[in-house]
Amino acid sequence: MIPYRRTIISNTLAAVLLLTLSSPALALDVQSLIREIEQQYMGASSHANTTMQVRTAHWERTLEMEAWSLGRDYFLVRILEPAKERNVATLKRSRQVWNYLPKVDRIIKIPPSMMGGSWMGSHITNDDLVKANHIDEDYDLRLLDETATHYLIECLPKEEAAVVWGKIVYRIRKTPRVPEQVDYYDEELVRVRETHFDDVQQVGERIVPLQLTVLPLEKPDEMTVLRYRDLVYDLPLDETFFSLRNLKQR
Amino acid sequence: MLLTLAFRNLWRNQRRTLLTLSAMVISAALLILALGVFSGMFRDMLASATEQYYGHLVIAHPEYHLRRDLFAHLPDDIADQLALQREAEITGQSPRLRSFGLLSRPETSQPVELLGIIPELEQQVTSLQHQLTSGHYPSAKEHNGALIGQGLARKMKVKPGDELVFVTQAADGSIGNDLLIVSGIFATGDSRHDNNLVLAPLLWLQQVLVLPERIHEVAMVVADPMTAARIADRLATDLPEGVGILDWGDLLPEMREVIAAYDVSRMIVVAILYMATGLGILNTFFMSVMERTREFGILMAQGMRPWTVRGLVLLETLLLGCIALVIGVFCGAVMTLYMQQVGIDLSGYITPVTYAGGTILPRLHAVFEAGNFLVPAGMLLLISLFAGFLPANRAARLDPVVAVRDL
Amino acid sequence: MDYLHLAWKNLWRNRRRTIITLTAIALSIMLVQALHNLSSGVYAGMVDSGVRAGSGHIAVYQQNYLESRDESLYFEDRNLINEIEAIDGVKQVLPRLYIPALAQSSRESRGVVLIGVDPHREAQVNPFLKELPEEAMLRSADSRDAVVGSRLLEELQIKPGQKFVVTAQHQDGTLHSELLYVRGVVSSGMKDIDSSLILIGRERAGLLTGSLSSVHELAVVLSDPGYETPVHRIIATMLATRPDIEAVSWQRAMPNLANAIKLDYASQKFIFLIILLIVTIGVINTLLMSVMERMREFGVILALGSKPMTLRRMIMLEALSLGLLAAAIGSLLGCLATWYLVSVGIYLAALVPETLEFGGVVFDPIMRASWNPGWMLQIALYVVGLTLLAALYPAIKAGRITPVKGMRHY
Repeated sequence: MIPYRRTIISNTLAAVLLLTLSSPALALDVQSLIREIEQQYMGASSHANTTMQVRTAHWERTLEMEAWSLGRDYFLVRILEPAKERNVATLKRSRQVWNYLPKVDRIIKIPPSMMGGSWMGSHITNDDLVKANHIDEDYDLRLLDETATHYLIECLPKEEAAVVWGKIVYRIRKTPRVPEQVDYYDEELVRVRETHFDDVQQVGERIVPLQLTVLPLEKPDEMTVLRYRDLVYDLPLDETFFSLRNLKQR
Repeated sequence: MLLTLAFRNLWRNQRRTLLTLSAMVISAALLILALGVFSGMFRDMLASATEQYYGHLVIAHPEYHLRRDLFAHLPDDIADQLALQREAEITGQSPRLRSFGLLSRPETSQPVELLGIIPELEQQVTSLQHQLTSGHYPSAKEHNGALIGQGLARKMKVKPGDELVFVTQAADGSIGNDLLIVSGIFATGDSRHDNNLVLAPLLWLQQVLVLPERIHEVAMVVADPMTAARIADRLATDLPEGVGILDWGDLLPEMREVIAAYDVSRMIVVAILYMATGLGILNTFFMSVMERTREFGILMAQGMRPWTVRGLVLLETLLLGCIALVIGVFCGAVMTLYMQQVGIDLSGYITPVTYAGGTILPRLHAVFEAGNFLVPAGMLLLISLFAGFLPANRAARLDPVVAVRDL
Repeated sequence: MDYLHLAWKNLWRNRRRTIITLTAIALSIMLVQALHNLSSGVYAGMVDSGVRAGSGHIAVYQQNYLESRDESLYFEDRNLINEIEAIDGVKQVLPRLYIPALAQSSRESRGVVLIGVDPHREAQVNPFLKELPEEAMLRSADSRDAVVGSRLLEELQIKPGQKFVVTAQHQDGTLHSELLYVRGVVSSGMKDIDSSLILIGRERAGLLTGSLSSVHELAVVLSDPGYETPVHRIIATMLATRPDIEAVSWQRAMPNLANAIKLDYASQKFIFLIILLIVTIGVINTLLMSVMERMREFGVILALGSKPMTLRRMIMLEALSLGLLAAAIGSLLGCLATWYLVSVGIYLAALVPETLEFGGVVFDPIMRASWNPGWMLQIALYVVGLTLLAALYPAIKAGRITPVKGMRHY
């Protein structure tokens, strides 16, 4: 999702900065530099119309949604199409997630036991939404390989990090500086999941990929594709926008 | 000729005959009663395991019970397709659709198992309608009436008439959700059902899951649960591809084990009972034959062959055995009937017990089973024969001279 | 006094009959005693396993916790564990925290209930951990070790030694996650346990919920069930200053187990009743027969001047001798049988795979008896009593004989 993607970018930038500066003294500076960059994105807000296409072994469907986000911790997504699911919405505030169901006019808080469930039927889980933004907190980054056009960055979980992956590898294009692919490995370093980033465009001052594809490798026929349209950054949004009342709003 | 003699012999000494007879009758009757109570407990165990939730037989996709995969569904007229209504042994069928999701109230949400059912049909197979603590079983008219377990009701603080929201992943990937109104609350004593299970209308769930005209299983009951495995094997041969059948033993392997162990202890006790009865009968027969030593001596002195004497004694014992059998079985039947209809109610100091996937009601009662009558009857005859054999031999070997002098 | 001697001799006049009757009574006594001791041994075993894995002989909970198992009903330890441990008769105090959570691996996720325990205490007592070697047990209350049921492990698609993440609701309303490693695997044979058990250190569990020194349950395991009443009283006194928590007996905490035993025992009593009735019928019959065949003799005795009362007394004495002898032999055999069943037991595994569930606890594959001398004596005395009762009718009959009628008898 939006925050997810952006954090990958922020991680990437941090990693890249680390790479270009090699002396330890400068590395220390890099730390604070990273933090500064994080701060920048923390404050950023965004709005977009998105299309999500999901294919599983049993069904295939396409959703049209409208999404708002603020930093890493807040977002609100509302379904526009298909008509049957119009106004179903998800609100995330830091580590809590709620769904609004217009058919019964109720707000449901997602309890821990349901966090493993998929979000809106896709290959992205509720848990992904909650945890995706803390990759830099939970992993140690290092440069694995470098070619003329790409960086390969390896992320290994920190000693006590509560993450299920054994390893995450980013492939990042040098120019423009955007991620292309992220591979997720289990503890035995078997690749379990892949995310691809495509359709890189300029949006305002930023260069971002507008299409995200999630592939569960052990189910080769399945995938989730997320496309962004009309993406806009830096709106006058603050935390109060991301409220349960707005969740219900039609 | 010998038969008439035997018969008359019996009636000659009425006192002795009646004595022996009464002992045999009472023992036989008590034995039959004991067996009936054993069978009753046995049946209760089985019934509780199967009739609360599983049924005796289940038709579903062959691997459905392993992971309860939402997508392993069958057409909801599968029972008709298989012409199950023609099976005389199947006394009830219930098509069901199953979903796992969240049951939600404003303050709390709980993960639950929701079973979509048709009330009239489900009540033929399971017995939750007899275990309601409040409200009523959802009727066909209530399009979204739900029956929930007591533990669940307590956690969510609901009572009949309250609204609940059920949320799950539908079969087309969307978020299936709809309102339910609590019709009734059940308490089985089994926390797995009381804290987890919700029954709702099949049609309602089919809509929520976007699985029109689909079900996951057909649960069935048969007249005698012990025949379920046999029936399953028979039906299995005709099932089409993608449809399997399981009996309660497959669904509740632990119950099978409990029953095996229970059978062992039952056999031990039954052996004790037979032995006690047998020894009693043996005793009386011995005595009665010994008493008549003089009589036998006279008969043999008058020319009756030893083997005729033996035959006579054996016949007498057999006759006595048969009469005792008839009366004993009758008395046993009467007592079993009482225990079956009335039984002994222990609910004053025991609440329902859960084990091996079933819950037992706190009462002692009996059931009628052919085996509980035929076997004691057979044993009685056998014991009579055996009990008569030794004394008969003894009598046949007597020296008429010595015997006549016996007083 | 000669009547006893006479009675004894009378018994042995018809050796075969007496021996057969003796055998019937003695064997019945033996079997009833042996069966009772066997089942009491099995019950004791079940209760023992049950209290160790479950609530202990006595458990301390928040008021109302038992009815709903609501995870918000926890309480602070405040040295209660140490105080209770110091009570005479207490073997171990097991603090437990039950937390509903999500367990996730790289491939799967499952809703579970984590049980936060004190590893050192739990290892000494919990039967599920009995089979686990040292390397498979939790190392400390704050380690990241987890002991997981075998089926759950399969469902999460992870192996021993691998990691998984648990997420639960923190006190402050947010979700917290912890990293855990599969240290040991429990394979009890019971589907329920194997597909849901996760044991972790209670401090690690406390980190998840923000309730570090809290518990849902203090399971008090006694060194002998006999201590239950006094210890319960002491604990109740200790808790007088804390009205929000209470001590309950295992019968209330685990009603399934208590009732399973009660039910089985009730049906057993019914069956024993029937057995004894059948034996009594046999005895009545025997005694009656023996009276009948001595009618003539009795007639003579009466004609010679004895009182009817004497006859009656004699019959009763015969019955008494028979009863006492049978009780003695029967009890001796019962002791032998019990001794065998206590030391060797019955090996159920031939009939059923590894473990068996009854009342929700693990059934030992070997059925062992326990000694209940008091109960055995009781049964022996009942039988003697029954024998005497059985002799009443024959004795009355004997007393009603008139000399003339008797002597005419054949």
